[in-house]
Amino acid sequence: MDLSLAIFVQIIVAALLVIGLMVGNAVVMVYMERKVAGFIQRRPGPYEVGPWGTLQALCDSMKLLAKQLYRPGNVDIILYYLAPILAFFPVLLLFLPIPFGPYLTALNVNEGIILILAFAGLGVLSNLLAGWSSNNKYSLLGAARAVSQTVAYEIPMILALLAVVFQCGSMDLKNVTEQQGAWPWEWNVLTQPLAFFIYVVSLVGETNRAPFDLPEAESELAAGFHTEYSGMGFALFFLSEYANMLLVSLVAAVFFLGGYKGPVADGFWWIFIKAYAIMFFLVWIRWTFPRVRFDQLLNINWKWLLPLSLLNLWLTAIIVKLLI
Amino acid sequence: MTFDPEKWLTSWRQAGAWSLSRHDPAKEGLRVSAFLPPQALVRCAQELRAARYSLLDISTLEAREGLVVTYHFDSLDEPARLAFRALVSRKKPVAPSLYEVFQGAEWHERESADFFGLIFEGNPNPIPLLLPDDLPGPPPLRKKEADLAPLAKLGLLGQAEILDPDFGDLIGQPVGSGHQGSQAC
Amino acid sequence: MLGGPINFVNPLSVLESPGTLTGDFYALNFEKKAKSGRVILNLGPQHPSTHGVLRVLCELDGEYVDRAEPVLGYLHRMHEKMGEVKTPWQYIPNLGRVDYLHPLAWNWAYVGAAERLAGLEVPERAEYLRVIGCELNRIASHLLWWGAFVMDLGGFTPILYAFEEREKINDILQIITGSRLTMANFRFGGVCADGDERFFRLIREFIPYLRERLKMYQGLVTDNIILRRRLEGIGPIDVDMCQRYGATGPILRAAGLPRDTRRDYPYSVYPKLEFPIPTGPINDCFGRYLVRLREIETSLAIVEQAINQIPDGPVIMDKAPKATWKLPAGESYWAVEGARGQIAVHLLSDGGKNPYRLKLRAPGFSNLSLFAEAAQGTLLADAIAILGSLDLVIPEVDR
Repeated sequence: MDLSLAIFVQIIVAALLVIGLMVGNAVVMVYMERKVAGFIQRRPGPYEVGPWGTLQALCDSMKLLAKQLYRPGNVDIILYYLAPILAFFPVLLLFLPIPFGPYLTALNVNEGIILILAFAGLGVLSNLLAGWSSNNKYSLLGAARAVSQTVAYEIPMILALLAVVFQCGSMDLKNVTEQQGAWPWEWNVLTQPLAFFIYVVSLVGETNRAPFDLPEAESELAAGFHTEYSGMGFALFFLSEYANMLLVSLVAAVFFLGGYKGPVADGFWWIFIKAYAIMFFLVWIRWTFPRVRFDQLLNINWKWLLPLSLLNLWLTAIIVKLLI
Repeated sequence: MTFDPEKWLTSWRQAGAWSLSRHDPAKEGLRVSAFLPPQALVRCAQELRAARYSLLDISTLEAREGLVVTYHFDSLDEPARLAFRALVSRKKPVAPSLYEVFQGAEWHERESADFFGLIFEGNPNPIPLLLPDDLPGPPPLRKKEADLAPLAKLGLLGQAEILDPDFGDLIGQPVGSGHQGSQAC
Repeated sequence: MLGGPINFVNPLSVLESPGTLTGDFYALNFEKKAKSGRVILNLGPQHPSTHGVLRVLCELDGEYVDRAEPVLGYLHRMHEKMGEVKTPWQYIPNLGRVDYLHPLAWNWAYVGAAERLAGLEVPERAEYLRVIGCELNRIASHLLWWGAFVMDLGGFTPILYAFEEREKINDILQIITGSRLTMANFRFGGVCADGDERFFRLIREFIPYLRERLKMYQGLVTDNIILRRRLEGIGPIDVDMCQRYGATGPILRAAGLPRDTRRDYPYSVYPKLEFPIPTGPINDCFGRYLVRLREIETSLAIVEQAINQIPDGPVIMDKAPKATWKLPAGESYWAVEGARGQIAVHLLSDGGKNPYRLKLRAPGFSNLSLFAEAAQGTLLADAIAILGSLDLVIPEVDR
């Protein structure tokens, strides 16, 4: 009884911290995205609000909070309001098994990656609901795209992670981290370069970021599945998009880049540095590349990533079998 | 390949042209033009299409004698801008559509229909193009009776050879007037 | 917020019975011909990639565009009627509003038509200034198209690069035209102001600068694999289609025909200038993209020669027409090469105070009319790419 109460309290505290992390991440990401975009596009980016424009994200969120929640006519009200909430909350859960430090894990789950992959699939449901309930054809097309894209890109993503799981013999994120060393040459990215590449590409597809941002392709579908959302409804989608980005980057850091391990001293700073390095990469390609076409997007997945990840898995299995 | 105006003038003469004109390309921008009977428009357009001409625009204007629909063409192979025109009644403005020959004519015709109330028979989609579907009042580019100018004054005829007596009566130039004869337009 | 009546309309209901679609006159008219089981998508008039206020009705089969129909008129201002109620002089500023990306070509088409009708002689220095202004303006127009086109394809950055260059051109043109967008420095018989020393210095600095930048664009955008895959083989427009729809300009040149009004109907001082006419080896979206980028280089070459050849002298003829000037009676049809194709003005006068009839031939109008055929059977994203590759300026199409 006492033990379960302790775990309950731990989860509540962790959940609050994770919400804080999500909001903090969104603030950092908004600033980073705008500053990096400004740098790439040879303009200053935000620089009026606060020192070097650092308070811009705060003002943005204030604006979104204060905005009227406009609901267009003929929407399915329950699903319409449920969708952004449903987009936000599963992401919360996903942070629980991530080992941020040697002793900093909200919930020690020995099959942590299964939990993450299972609940990550829920995110697309919210996109579908949002697109369906908005009573808007752009939203509907965006939702249809979101579903087929996310479902497709989950498969190579899982297969890439599975190769690492084979190699480490564990689905526990902490265990996977512990098997890697502090220095880059001791990381899994060296033994699984193909899996890392596949994971990063499908990560872009999974988080609907440019150049794979087909569900919200601005020039075709206005804003895709969240066309009809304003104010906090939009903000929750926004928040969960950034949280999703952080999550998949954290998983990449854990599985391929040694997690919280790093030179000098292990700790949460290393996992965040690694995750944000990957996120910087995502921002960079977003502002550099044009968008692919939808059939090209699916072709990349089904014709290249999937066979490659299967091949990689097969080779890993053989090598692991031979070495043992 | 050089432009041969005689080829088109002969062809239009055979099509029953009401008048044939030569123009000064430096001033008027055209080499030759003709007033054709409305029923000959499609056949003449087909000839131009076969000779690799494309339809530049359809420019309509209202003159005292009626609505003048000017079809401007240019060759894809050489600078050879020319035009033929149709004169239709102001009371019952109906002209044949060139859609079957030049699909681009659809929009130009709809534009003229908007501005002048012209009806193009055979246009596949005869709905307003630039103006709203419920615009009140007469078509905006139609003029008041008092403001109308006669064709001859507008210089549409250039150095014309009038072939059709009725047309000649209408515009006040008898058959055989203007530039013609030995130089044989 | 949650308390309202539940009045949910199934968005797929149009799949079951097309008769349930509601809409305005154009949507209903379009819907009449729709096959059952198709979604009718209304792109625009407010849509990120319809460049202003174009509206396209699409009948979608999945993501394939089965039928498309542009609906025009949302920016229609009846410039042709204004031409009839204003004196020729009063009308000049209107021309900049017809196509705000290449206003000087429209200026030129109108002023040129009137000059030919009245037989006015333009001083040579004015002709050179016209050429310089018009070509710089063409570069600005093509640059903006380039940025907007890549934005249609989802690349956000190039448009800001393009705007940076365009600003420099605006700085230069501001000196002789006095404005940065709807320029109107053409007068009957010349131009309104001469270029000063700074004007020519800025141009001399700008030409090598832009040449360097074009090399960077090549690496940043043109050689990008995603861009290539998005454009190559998409939306072929061949000579036959151009002929049937009267398409001109870069579209016709990308189809392989070297037709350019500057060469075909030599006007002004163009015969004295050496310039190639870029034609595309391929007639797809990428071919049109390349033709426009090469036209920027062509225009740079023209400007470079023009500033070296420009003679001294007056910039407007003696006894130039004044505000009360009346056009002599007659007809004039005169065309210039705009950024989007052949711009023509059909000017008729009965000798009165105002022109009797003014017809503006907008190249974008003819170019857009082929969109319905070109987009048929393409993916929605490709239809957007084709629309972008036509280089539309909606004020010009609607007039």
